Formats: sequence, C-alpha cells, structure tokens
Amino acid sequence: MIGISGTGANAADRRDRRFGYAMATPSLLVLFLIILFPVISALFTSLHDYTLIAPNFDTFTGLTNFKLALGDAEFRHSAWLTLRFVIGVVALEFLIGFAVALMLNKVERFKPIYYAILLCPLLMNPVIVGLIWRMFLHPNLGIVNYLLSTIGIDPVNWLGDTKIAIWTVILVDIWHQVSFMIVLLLAGLSSLPKEPYEAARVDGANAFQCFIHITLPMMRTVIVVTLLIRLIFAVKTYDLIYIMTRGGPGTATDFVSYFIYRTAFVSLNVGEASAMSIILLTAILGLTVYLYRYMRSIN
Amino acid sequence: MAGIELKNISKVYGGSVVAVDDISLEIKDGEFMIFLGPSGCGKSTTLRMIGGLESISKGDLFIGGKRMNDVDPADRDIAIVFQNYALYPHMTVAGNLGFGLKLRGVARHEIEQRVKSISTMMGIEPLLDRKPAQLSGGQRQRVALGRALVRNPQAFLLDEPLSNLDAKLRAAMRTELIKLHHKVGTTIIHVTHDQIEAMTMGQRICIMKDGHIIQVGAPLEVYRNPANTFVAGFLASPPMNLVAGRLEGVGQGDLHAVVGAARLPIPDAFKAGYASHAGQPVTVGLRPEDFHQAPVGGSSVAVTVVTVAVELLGPEVILVAELGGSGGPEIMARMPRDFMARPGAELHLHYDLTQMHVFDAATGNVLPRPQIA
Repeated sequence: MIGISGTGANAADRRDRRFGYAMATPSLLVLFLIILFPVISALFTSLHDYTLIAPNFDTFTGLTNFKLALGDAEFRHSAWLTLRFVIGVVALEFLIGFAVALMLNKVERFKPIYYAILLCPLLMNPVIVGLIWRMFLHPNLGIVNYLLSTIGIDPVNWLGDTKIAIWTVILVDIWHQVSFMIVLLLAGLSSLPKEPYEAARVDGANAFQCFIHITLPMMRTVIVVTLLIRLIFAVKTYDLIYIMTRGGPGTATDFVSYFIYRTAFVSLNVGEASAMSIILLTAILGLTVYLYRYMRSIN
Repeated sequence: MAGIELKNISKVYGGSVVAVDDISLEIKDGEFMIFLGPSGCGKSTTLRMIGGLESISKGDLFIGGKRMNDVDPADRDIAIVFQNYALYPHMTVAGNLGFGLKLRGVARHEIEQRVKSISTMMGIEPLLDRKPAQLSGGQRQRVALGRALVRNPQAFLLDEPLSNLDAKLRAAMRTELIKLHHKVGTTIIHVTHDQIEAMTMGQRICIMKDGHIIQVGAPLEVYRNPANTFVAGFLASPPMNLVAGRLEGVGQGDLHAVVGAARLPIPDAFKAGYASHAGQPVTVGLRPEDFHQAPVGGSSVAVTVVTVAVELLGPEVILVAELGGSGGPEIMARMPRDFMARPGAELHLHYDLTQMHVFDAATGNVLPRPQIA
C-alpha cells in the first residue's frame, strides 16, 4: 500500500517539478542573458589587455588590470570620494527620512496628499533632476543665487567650486532620494503593532523612551533593509554626476562609477575598467552579504 | 490597593459614535470584578478609560479616591494585561518584566530581585533569557501577568487575557488567576466575553450591552435573577430557554403561563408581580437545568415534550425537545449522563416552577418576583 501511494505521489511530484522548471526557464534564461552574462563577460575582459583601440582578447594578463586599478591614485581617490558621498547621503537621508516618517506616521488627515508630494522627486528621472538643478544652481542665471542675493548673500559657485561641488551633489541627491527613505520607513512604522506602545505607556515610558526602547528595536529590520538598498544605489550614482559636474571641477566629484566610465570610454581601456567594475561589484556584494547576515542574526 | 469608582462615564468617538453611555459603577478595594458582554458592548473601552489609554468624554473616574481623568496612565499606578499580551518582542523575558521598573528609576539590584521573585512565583524562571517569540502562548501569558505583578500596582486591568489560549490552558489559567487574586488581594477588573470565566472567576459581574450596564451582581445572583432576556440568554451554557407565551387567567386567582400546548401554573408568591400582565404576550424563561425526570418537592409541574435530538456531552446529556408536544417551541433540557431518548419520542419531564422567570415581551425586562437566593 505504502509503495503504491508513494509512487503515485512521486509521479505527481515529478510532474509538478517539470511544470515548475518549464515556467521558470524563460525568466531564468532572460536573467542569465541580461545579468549574469555581462558580469561574466566583464570578469573575462578584466583578465585581458582589452582596449577600444585593440578590441581583442589576444593578450591574457591575469590580475595585472586589478593591480593597475588598485595602484591607480585616481581610482583610489574616486573610491574614497564615493565612500564619503555614500556615507554622507545615506546618513543624512536616513536622519531626515526617519524624522519625516515619524511625523507623517502621526498624521491622520490628507495622508495621500503628503505621499503624492513626497513621491514627486522620486518619480523623476535622475537626468531630469540633474538638468533642473543645474539650471537652478547656475552661478549667474540660477534662481538659487538670485534668491540668496535678495537677502544679501553673495553668489555661490555651487558646481564650480572644488570644496562646494560635492556638497551640492549630496544636497541634490538628498532632494531626489529622501522620499525613498521616508516611504519605506513610513511603511515600516505603520506596520508596527500598537500594543507594545500602550504597554510602555502604562509602564511609564515617555515619547522619547518609547522611541528608543520600542520603535528603534522593532524597526531594526526595516532600517537595515532601507539602508542597504539606499547604500547600493548611492554607490552606483552616475547620472547626476554625468549631467551636473562630469566629475569636476577637476576631480572633486569624480565618483567610482563615473571614473570607470571615463576609463572605459574616454581612456578606452576597457580591460582595466572591467577590473574596476569587478572590484566595485565585490565591495557591494561583500556589504550585502554582511548586512544580510546581520539581519538574519537579529531575527 | 485601591477601589475604583466610575461616575456617569461616557465615551464618544468622533462626536457621534457612543461607545460607552453614562455608566456608573463602584469597584471595591480588593474586589475581583468581571466586565462581561458581547463584542462591541463597550467593556474594553471602559477598561481602557480606567487604564488611561482612552480619554474619558464625560464623567469622572476615581482610583483610590483620587480623580484620575487627566492623569497619565503611568501615574495611575495600575497595570494592564492585554489580550495579545503586548510583550516587547525585542526584549528578553527578564527585560519585559523589568522594563517598567527601569523606567521608574528603580535600582538595578532591586529590579533583579523583584524580577526573580515574580518569575519564581509565576513559574517562568527558566525562561528569563528567552525572547517572547520563543515562548508558547501560555508562557507569554504568564510573562504578561508577571510584568503586571512586578510593579505591585493598585489595580490590575485584564483585557480578555485568556481568549488567545486553548481550552485546556484557559481553564488552568482561570484557576491560577483566582489563586493569584487570593494571594495578592489587589483589585482586579477582568474583561471577557466568556460567560464561564465570568461565572467562575469574579466576585461580581458587570454585564454590559451597547455601552450600557445591564446588571451588576454576584455571579450566582445574576444567574438566578437575570434582569432581562439579554442577561438570561447570555449566562450559562446552554442558556436559559426563552420562549414566547402568554399569561392567561383572571386576576391573581388562576394565573398560567401558556407556552405552546403547555400550561405552567404561576406559583402563588409570583402572582402579585405578574397579575398586571395577565392576558398579555410574555417571554417565558426556563433554565435547561430545571427540567427533571422526577417531581421536585411540591413545586414542579409535569410537562410533555417531544424529543428532537439528544446531545451526548459525557458528563451530561442535552435534550433538545419541543415543549408541550409536537410543533411546540423548541427548548433544551439538561439531563443526567445516562439519559437516552429516540428522536420523536414523547417524554414526561418535571419543571421546577420556583425557578421560572417571566419577561415583558416588548421590553425584555423581567417581571417582579421574589428573588432566588
């Protein structure tokens, strides 16, 4: 009896599995073609002396491209710059985002309207954002400097000053992306159970103590995920730079993504650029794995 | 410890939805009071107003003689146990127990000491390092109770704390709560929709419906002398049979309650109260446990019933039957465990007339009769 019913179940199981594979194969193939193939291709290219002047895989160079990249002072400079930018935008966006989310979480009326306003910047293409802000921030014709002049502040060279440019980019990125943080954190906040707060009120906690002892610990997973996603996106920042500063003035905003682009398509050294991409990919993957493990450990 | 007094308290939501309507109640110091009623009757809202989690729209609340309407929940010196326990998910059991003390600035060694003694009392000492997610429902319940106990408050407010437990555990926790009350002697208000909890646990029951208090009294007092058909139908399982009938007879001489084909003579002692409804439709209340197989003293009357179904519960048998003969109103009667009858069989039972209640058909209020002690 057991054998018979066992066989029946197995046949059905096998059919289910075959059907499952049949359904999954097309998307797996597409995924492989558009994601895994470029990665493998980049890895392959990074091991060869491949330039756009001599676009061939004739010379296998092993890890030379990686050594060159890591030894390149400009690459290290842009990596350091990117790190500062990422920490700056993620930290500021998180602080602003969390504060706004906490405020909005208490709001009961007109919530959809606030949402709509908040989502506007997020819905814009980064290229458009870059163009708009480049106009706003134009040293002579921009509205920002005009408004500053009305209260007696001298015009600021927002994108042309090596000390100010990176902060300008950070501010524009915050304007563009902070609503992402707000929306995600707000979703997290509104899904928190009410009862622990009531218990804490009876236990004698004030609003600040509730935030520290209840909200923050219960939001930990949401916070980690939000930071992780934002971090990965910030590391990749390219379009804003391309539109607003082209990495300048000098190399003041020359972030890694833009530097890799320059190496590949301006210096035409695709092999070394691929090596840099692989280094960047490894760094992001490492970060992702670390944060994923951390999240698993707290649950 | 402290008594709690509600004076003309109302709760109105959004200016028009009245959840609690002008209720007044005094809960004595050290009393175990039950708020009983169906969902939406306002019992939880009342409890939350006492706890300070809901504002009081109208009326005054006194705890230990002090007006508490505008006092923060933390300063009312009460503890609440929530239906889903509301433990802090990220804290260990020890952290949950000690959190309130920590916020009140109690010294660390004293917190440890009190957490230890409460956890021993509640039998959760081996769980102190676990998080709520690693506990069973019963264990969480104990932690929630322990968290309330550890602060040694003036009163405990329990908001359906047993409703998430399985039947067996619920019965065990009922006993534990009763024991706990004996031990600590603190005022307890326990909100429930479970009439067994209400009957077994409380010293008094406050039965609520649609934001009003319908009846307050000791469990047996309320069971024996329900104020109206709502209370009669809510307490006990199976509840009182409420059947439509008429009071027939002239004056106080010969008064009968007629239900279907059955005629139940009204005992002399009741006639004065019932005479005014002679000739009018009424609702007759007959408890299932007042039907017997043999006559009871001199106060019972023989009634004919036709068996519809027999429910074997083990310790007893519930007989579902038509009163007065085939086609009569359906009633339930509680029979001893060895009782048997085939569907359709005609039986002769004896109903104890001293236990009968008659309610006004229109208002549902009980007609005056001598109280059953």
